Amino acid sequence: MRDAVELEWAGIPTACVVHTELIGSARAIARISGHETYEFLDVGYPHIPTAIWSPDEIQLIADTLTPQIRELLLKQLPPPE
Amino acid sequence: MTLAAEPHTYADYDELLEDYYERGWTDGLPVVPPTAEKVQRFLTLAGLEPDEILGSVPTRAVVVTAEHAAINAVMAGCRPEYFPAVVAAVRAHLDEMGNCHSTTGTLSGAVQTVIINGPVRNEWGVASGQGCLGPGFRPNATIGRALRLVIRNVCRAIPGFLDRASFSSPMRYSFCFAENEEASDWVPLHVQRGFAAEQSTVTVASFMNFVPATDMTSRTCVDIANSIVKTMRSKGIGGDKWLGQDHNVVAIVGKEHHRYFIEEGWSKADLQHYLWERIHEPTSGPDDRFCNIGYPEGILVVAAGGAGMAETWLLMPHLAHAITRVIEPAQL
Repeated sequence: MRDAVELEWAGIPTACVVHTELIGSARAIARISGHETYEFLDVGYPHIPTAIWSPDEIQLIADTLTPQIRELLLKQLPPPE
Repeated sequence: MTLAAEPHTYADYDELLEDYYERGWTDGLPVVPPTAEKVQRFLTLAGLEPDEILGSVPTRAVVVTAEHAAINAVMAGCRPEYFPAVVAAVRAHLDEMGNCHSTTGTLSGAVQTVIINGPVRNEWGVASGQGCLGPGFRPNATIGRALRLVIRNVCRAIPGFLDRASFSSPMRYSFCFAENEEASDWVPLHVQRGFAAEQSTVTVASFMNFVPATDMTSRTCVDIANSIVKTMRSKGIGGDKWLGQDHNVVAIVGKEHHRYFIEEGWSKADLQHYLWERIHEPTSGPDDRFCNIGYPEGILVVAAGGAGMAETWLLMPHLAHAITRVIEPAQL
């Protein structure tokens, strides 16, 4: 999350994708970084390690997230709160 | 000496304890009230000003000062003379390559261990023998706990907040022990890492899990070392570009294994080289994995523990280097 915020500060549009179980800490880091409402994406199911995702699961995640990532990349980072 | 912390006043100890717990300032166990007098005494003894910066966690906008460390060392139950060890442990953990953010926030629940070397072991009675990794020894219990309280109360690694561990670990209450330097002529860990024998040090290592290499039947160094290799390779250690070659694994060699190395004249370096050459052999299957440690001294061999069980404990690394820092002598 902090990497995403710092890339945004450098003027590089960024989309941060987060494991469901790390959403709490991602929100906390966004708040600590001064961007409490910074939007990011939840990778959702499956919650298993990436190394064992099946090709079908990877395709499903890609199909689900790609339009959301595109949408996020086109948004401007709001000024720090 | 002026402290920055906001003072709080309580009618009695019970009220303090309840308030500290409600505010999330404890690990769940009772704490020693960090009165201004005690905090100032710790700082004076360590020769530190309250605003001395010990380190930071940039991703969390956290800066850890000597006052922060002193407050948590008092709370943990440290004696004043232990405080320089807490300072050294905090500095080690907050070294960039100690990787506080990852090792205290990870789903895996990585644990920080504090290994003490040098003269303070005997001056303070830091346990290195029978039962040394468990409860019952004040310096072991409180120095390790002080580091964990700093990680919680200052570095914000609180379960449900920035600590996302699925299970976490009881070893996160405290994990501190000393090397048994007197057990043999093995070169102590801190001397291997470039410090003088008469210096006292802490080495802080963050590890993912501990794996006992229990071998009750082997009676030669080669057979024992092969058991350690087999156990290490059952887990494997992956490579990481950021960590580079300076990745570490800790091997706590128990007394019943150590005595064979003494009898056959294996030095610590002999064991490190033997292990290192074999953990790099190509994998032969899913239960036999390559271990990415850059050089033999990256295997931190430490003698500790008591008689009985013939075992060596392996602390398999998380995403950090083990960092060693000097314990600056107290200003007694």
